Amino acid sequence: MANLFQDVLFDEVKSRELVEQYGSPLLLLDCDKLADQYRQLSAALPGVGLYYAVKAFPHASIVSTLNQLGAGFDIASTGEINLLRKQKVNPRHTIHTHPIKKDKDIKDALRFGCSTFVVDNHAEISKFRKYAHRVGLLLRVAFRSPDCAVDLSKKFGCSPEEVPALLKAANELGLHVKGLSFHVGSQSTSPSTHVAAIEACSRLIEEYEVPIRILDIGGGFPVDYDHATDIDIHAFCTPIRAALAKLPEHVEVIAEPGRFLIAPAAASITTVAGKAMRGDQPWYYLDDGVYGMFSGRIYDHARYPLHVFRTGPTRPSALVGPTCDSIDVIEEAIELPELEVGDLVVGRMMGAYTAATASTFNSLPIPRIVVFG
Amino acid sequence: MTNTWNETLYDAWGQRHDIDKVYFEFDTGHQQLMIFHNALFGRVMVLDGVVQTTEKDEFIYHEMLTHVPILAHGKAKRVLIIGGGDGGILREVCRHKSIEHVTQVEIDKAVIDMAIEYLPNHSAGAYDDPRANIVIDDGCRFVAQCQEKFDIIISDSTDPIGPGEVLFTSQFYSDCKRCLNDGGIMVTQNGVVFMQLDEVKTTAQRMALTFSDVHFYTAAVPTYVGGVMTFAWSSDNKALRHVDANTIRERYKAAGIKTRYYNPDIHVASFALPQYVLEAVGKADNS
Repeated sequence: MANLFQDVLFDEVKSRELVEQYGSPLLLLDCDKLADQYRQLSAALPGVGLYYAVKAFPHASIVSTLNQLGAGFDIASTGEINLLRKQKVNPRHTIHTHPIKKDKDIKDALRFGCSTFVVDNHAEISKFRKYAHRVGLLLRVAFRSPDCAVDLSKKFGCSPEEVPALLKAANELGLHVKGLSFHVGSQSTSPSTHVAAIEACSRLIEEYEVPIRILDIGGGFPVDYDHATDIDIHAFCTPIRAALAKLPEHVEVIAEPGRFLIAPAAASITTVAGKAMRGDQPWYYLDDGVYGMFSGRIYDHARYPLHVFRTGPTRPSALVGPTCDSIDVIEEAIELPELEVGDLVVGRMMGAYTAATASTFNSLPIPRIVVFG
Repeated sequence: MTNTWNETLYDAWGQRHDIDKVYFEFDTGHQQLMIFHNALFGRVMVLDGVVQTTEKDEFIYHEMLTHVPILAHGKAKRVLIIGGGDGGILREVCRHKSIEHVTQVEIDKAVIDMAIEYLPNHSAGAYDDPRANIVIDDGCRFVAQCQEKFDIIISDSTDPIGPGEVLFTSQFYSDCKRCLNDGGIMVTQNGVVFMQLDEVKTTAQRMALTFSDVHFYTAAVPTYVGGVMTFAWSSDNKALRHVDANTIRERYKAAGIKTRYYNPDIHVASFALPQYVLEAVGKADNS
C-alpha cells in the first residue's frame, strides 16, 4: 500500500475500495509524505534540531517515523510522554514545552527522563526549585504576531522586558535557564516575525552574563491549505537562516514544527449520509464534521481543500457534519456539483489538529485512522 | 556503533554506560526497568533513567546502610527493611548471627523475583533465610498498621521522585518511630548531597519532628554520581552515633562478619559531615 496515498485521493474506485475495507469516515495517514516534509524542513533549516509538536497529531506511526529520521519531540502532557515511551523514544530527545505544569506533570516528565522544561513566569520558575539540578529551563518570550492565523503570544510567553528579572530569579533559586524560546504563532504568512524574534533573543542572550546556549524558534512554518501544494519552505526560511547565522557562535538552535510536518501527510474520506434543500441551497450531511476530524475548522481556523468525484454544474452548497448541533458546519457555501447520498467527499491537508482535537460528541466514534507508508 | 545508556538524573551533566548486553527490560507503562551489562560495573539495574544498583559497587551502599546501625546499636535482634527488593540489605542483615528476625516489606514482588534471577549475588540466598519474613505491601501502609517492634529500621527506597516519594514523608518517619523499640535506630538512603542538598534539608526537618537526634553519614558509591551518598540517621539517643571506635571494633569482631568497605574506623568517620552539609541542616558542628 506504500504509494497509494497520492493516487487514492483523486481515484474514486480506490477511495471506494478503502471505504469498503475500513468503513467511513476515514483518516488516511501517509508516513512517506511525513518523512518528505521532515526532510524539506531539515534542508530549509540546516543545523536546527527539529522537535515534532506531538500535540498536532499524537499517533504511534508518526512518532515512530520521525524517531527513525532522528527527530526530537515537543511534549506537553503525560499522555504524550506515554505515547513516546511506547515507541522507545530517547527522553533526551524531548522537551516539555507546556509553560504551565502541575507538580505531577513535572515528576512524570522527570521519571520519563525529559529534563528540559519551558517556563514563562515567576510562579512556574519556583515550581522547579526542588528539582534544581535535575532540570534545564527554556524561558519563553512573547513576540506578538498579528499576521499569524493563531497568535500564540497572547496566552503564553513573558515580555522581552521581563526577561532579565526572570533570569535573575531563576539564577537565585539555583536553576539553570539554558535557553530562550518563542512561538510566533500558527501559519505565519511571512518569516518577518521569526526574524525579529531571533534578533531580539540574540540581544537578550548577549546581554545576560550567564551563558545561554539554546534558542528554540518554535513553529509557525506554514502549509498551503488553499491549494494543497507544497510551499517553498526553503525560500520561506531564507531570512530565518540569515538571522540564525548572526547568532552568537555557542548558541544551538531548535524548532518545534507540528503543522508543517503533519498537515500534508493526512487526508480524509467522508460519505454523504443525507441531503436536503434549505431555501434555495443544497445541504449535504456528511458522516463526520467539526466534532470529529474537521474539529480544526473551529479550533484551528483551518479550511481544508475538499473535492468530490462527481462533475457537472456547481452551485453554492452547505457541507455539514452529523451531530445535532447547528455549529457543526464544515462549509457554508462551497461550490459543488449536485451530490447524491453515498457520494464520497475527500479532504486534504487533514493532518494537523484534526484527529487530535476530535471528540465523541453524540457518541459518534472518532474516525478510523489508516496508515500508509 | 556503540550501544550506550545515559542517566537522565540531571539535565546538564551525567554518567554514561556502554551497554554490552541487555538482560531484562520491563515497561509497566508507568515505570521503566532495565538490567544491562557494563564492562566496569557488571550488571547494572536502572529504573526510570536512574541507576539503582550495580554488581560492582553495591557492597559499599549495602554494607554502610546495614552495619552502621546494627553495630552502633550493639544489641539489635529485630530488623525491619522497607523496600530493598534487590536483596542486598537483607543479605547484609542476615550475616549477623545475633539478628533473630528480619521483616522486609517490598511493594512489588516482581522486583524481588527479577533480582533473584538477574542479580543473584545481591541476595546471595538471603531470601531463603529462615529468619526472614518477606511481606509484599506498601511500606508506608505497613508501618502505619504494624503492631510489631523492631530495633533497627532500614529504608532502602528509590528516589523521592516516583514510587518512593511516600517514604520521605513526616508521616512515614513518625510511623516508623512507633515501630521502634526504645533505643531503636532508623536509617534511610538520602541521595547524593552535593547534587541534592534540598533533599537532605527536607529529611532533616521532617525527621526532627519525630526523633530527638537526626544526623547523616556518608559513603562514596561510584554510580551514585556527584560526590558522597548520604544516609539519614535518626534515633532518640545521641550517644548511639558517638559509640567509640574501640567498642565498634569489639562488636565488629564479635559479629565475625567479613566486609569489603565497612570497618570500625570508617563507621566512626562516616558521621563527619562537611561544613556545607552541616550548614544546610542547621548544625554548628558534628557533635
